[in-house]
Amino acid sequence: MKINPEFVTRIITSFLREELKKLGFDQAILGLSGGLDSSVVAFLAARALGPERVIGLILPYGDSFIQDTEDAQSVASLVGCRSRLIDIQPMIDAYFSLHPTDNLIQKGNKMARERMSILYDYSVREKALILGTSNKSELLIGYGTIHGDMACALNPLGDLYKTQVRELGAWLGVPKKILQKKPTAGLWPGQTDEAEIGLSYEELDRILYELVDLRRSRQDLIANGFDQTKVNRVWELMKRNEFKRRMPPIVKVSARTVGHDFLYPYDWDR
Amino acid sequence: MQGEETEFWPAPSGFSKVGQLWRLFSFSLNCDNLMDMKVAIVQLSPHLGLLEKNLQLHQNYAEEALRSGAELLVFPELSLTGYTLKDLTAEVAINPWKDPRLDPLKDISRKIDLVLGLVEENGRGLYFNTALYLSQGNILHRHRKVFLPTFGLFEEGKFFATGRSFQTFPTRFGRVGLLICRDFLHYGASYLLFAGKADLIIVISAAPGRGMSAQPGFASSQMWELMGEAISRFSTAFVIYCNRVGFEDGVVFAGGSFIYDPWGKQIWRAPDLEANLWLIELDLEELRQARKTWSFLRDDKPEVILHSLERTIAKDED
Repeated sequence: MKINPEFVTRIITSFLREELKKLGFDQAILGLSGGLDSSVVAFLAARALGPERVIGLILPYGDSFIQDTEDAQSVASLVGCRSRLIDIQPMIDAYFSLHPTDNLIQKGNKMARERMSILYDYSVREKALILGTSNKSELLIGYGTIHGDMACALNPLGDLYKTQVRELGAWLGVPKKILQKKPTAGLWPGQTDEAEIGLSYEELDRILYELVDLRRSRQDLIANGFDQTKVNRVWELMKRNEFKRRMPPIVKVSARTVGHDFLYPYDWDR
Repeated sequence: MQGEETEFWPAPSGFSKVGQLWRLFSFSLNCDNLMDMKVAIVQLSPHLGLLEKNLQLHQNYAEEALRSGAELLVFPELSLTGYTLKDLTAEVAINPWKDPRLDPLKDISRKIDLVLGLVEENGRGLYFNTALYLSQGNILHRHRKVFLPTFGLFEEGKFFATGRSFQTFPTRFGRVGLLICRDFLHYGASYLLFAGKADLIIVISAAPGRGMSAQPGFASSQMWELMGEAISRFSTAFVIYCNRVGFEDGVVFAGGSFIYDPWGKQIWRAPDLEANLWLIELDLEELRQARKTWSFLRDDKPEVILHSLERTIAKDED
């Protein structure tokens, strides 16, 4: 599972440069949370495009995560990119005052989609392409909000496990404080990814690597000493969340159908 | 020099237009030695689906190679069209014997031999992943890819018809055999070129980089080099492998083109990922030298191979 951070950085920065050029953009925009993934993407984008062509939107809900907001601001100033702080509390409160709920996940998803909505609006205002920050661990177990934090135009981290993102971040010079921070989706105070998923990222990534990259069976893993409950939980999460990784199925009635046999590349005529 | 738009943008660092000249074994033994040969290799990133733009790119590179003194210029697989074509396959296909858009490249081939990749339409609705060898204004040879990878991230069998032969042909440098990417990983294909007494095995490729470790570079690149070493050594032939760079739909093409001499020695390797043109000098006398020491070519028994194959196929056991 080891990576060579310098080589991976070369690939990702070339990818960002080439794709932005093909798609006709000069600038990239991303949501900065003060966490590891968005910090690493900010560092990579600044390397690829120059910091003056990167915009970080900091989108807190009031001051409930004031420390993360400060960390996001320090990342922006460290990489030298432009940043803008927009408090999403008025929009969120306006909605939930009319349609109240106690469901924290529902509230968290709404916030993630509010951030997405602002990012897409600013993408037009700034003529900047949106960079995603979902990593491979999250994508595989579906730990993200569909049409929320998973929405983007390009995803530079989607083939790196969380532990590999940390290794890359350390090489890129992401502050220690952020590297060592407990990963959280920031849906409510005190939430941590690892408590919610039920495994540490080290355990999760190891199991995913065996199942996905090495194509081992669950039975093999369990026979080799992996915890049966954890292996099965990871498998169930992967299976249950396939829908988040796909475009929705289209019912086929015609001779040629989007998503079935109308097959063109993303980089069509680029 | 190629225009601004053709560059890998913006240049990562210290990006030179023409790579270093690699000068190799240049001692000579006697007056009837085989000659030296200057080959140019391009690692380019074609525009996916934009034939006209890529034709211009090819012309620019051919002129640049010509100026640097190259006698042969090798482009990667599907260099005129890009790789991840899917339903674009039919739209970018051309008949290379009839299509006038290929004329400028045929003209340039009067001064420099060219190997390039394109989608060939045979005039009856079949599309092939094809390599052409252009020389003296003509198509000297055409190879249609036989082994079309169709698994995992590869879908070639969904869009291309299958080529049906491996043949060598004479050029001013010696006998040449062409392979396209996956063809080279099926060692029977290289054997057929060896049996056809190939002096140069030219492989054009669009191989993605796959597999990471703590070391820089891709695990997949080592696989190609391993084959390059083995085939060159045991065929006592040069192996020229030209792989593309750039990204299509998130897939990275590895670059890392290379040349092995008839001793199985790597005499040149391009950097991973870098778009550029390099000029490499080959001493063709090494073919004779290697075959003086290693008699694989003299001792080959193609008729035994053929009869054994026929028996194996007749049995057809799983």
